[in-house]
Amino acid sequence: MADTTKISAVRRTEFGKGAARRIRRADQVPAVLYGHGTDPVHLSLPGHDTMLALKQANALLEISLDGKTHLALVKDVQREVIKRFIEHVDLVVIRRGERVTVDIAVHTTGEAAPETVVTVENSSVTVSADATKIPENVEVSVEGLEAGSQILAGALELPSGVELDGDPEMLVVNVSAAVTAEALEAELAEAEAEAGIEREESEDAEGEGDSADGSGDSNESEGGSDQE
Amino acid sequence: MLIPRRVKHRKQHHPGRSGAAKGGTTIAFGDYGIQALEPAYVTNRQIESARIAMTRYIKRGGKVWINIYPDRPLTKKPAETRMGSGKGSPEWWVANVKPGRVMFELSGVSEEIAREAMRLAMHKLPMKCRFVQREGGDN
Repeated sequence: MADTTKISAVRRTEFGKGAARRIRRADQVPAVLYGHGTDPVHLSLPGHDTMLALKQANALLEISLDGKTHLALVKDVQREVIKRFIEHVDLVVIRRGERVTVDIAVHTTGEAAPETVVTVENSSVTVSADATKIPENVEVSVEGLEAGSQILAGALELPSGVELDGDPEMLVVNVSAAVTAEALEAELAEAEAEAGIEREESEDAEGEGDSADGSGDSNESEGGSDQE
Repeated sequence: MLIPRRVKHRKQHHPGRSGAAKGGTTIAFGDYGIQALEPAYVTNRQIESARIAMTRYIKRGGKVWINIYPDRPLTKKPAETRMGSGKGSPEWWVANVKPGRVMFELSGVSEEIAREAMRLAMHKLPMKCRFVQREGGDN
């Protein structure tokens, strides 16, 4: 269940990319707080505390601002693509006891039957829950499931007080039969031949690669002529 | 190998290499991914080679997604040809990958296996890459 994290914020007075960059250089994070019909409030949050708080999914924050405390849920986080530092945070005001709609992660436990592949088709489900009691994730057991088994969103066991808000027919976990060793080897050998990749493990494989190299080139030229 | 079935123009200008990826920077389908850290043109042969390396290592478990597509033709003039006389003939099909792009995804295997499979695949790619995994705190 979500614990609140106390963060003291400072109201922002200057805007734009220049101001936002100055804030980030001072190890702070620009943020905006809105919701419940209130005017948006532009804030700057302490960088390190915010980073630690946002490690948790659906983090609930207690924002102290101008002597008042606001309970807020993290709505959106913008991160720098390469360095992954937080560029901006959207916070939505909530009230204690209010029900909110959030996405929670689906985790699988257990081992499915041998010769199967477990695929999580949708890694999160939309649920409505009390804002102060949002579960971190929902666990689904795939123990002993045979190929062809499917787990739909409606079949997930959610904690008490949490209700599914999305489509109950949505596929969450799919258990399919693993491809046979022969089929996989044939598929990879064909792909290697087409791409002209030579394997070093056996002379036969190298021979195949050599002969395929020419055919791979001819395929490419065929592909080129298709474009005309 | 991945190749467009038909295109509007056979020869194109070289795609722009500047800037970072605007989308596809997070893991969308699987649990683990390979993220580009540098810009590069990735050919269809390199994509296929990386996919084969990963699939061979994970054997029959797991599922691989390819998030990039080589839809840009690059041309080349024949060797020992004088300049001029028009643009060369299409030689490669490439995906224009920019830093931050998650190119491959993988699921259904343990982190240890995924790391090794993706390490092998990264050696087939023409740029610096890193292993990424789904983060719990990402909203």
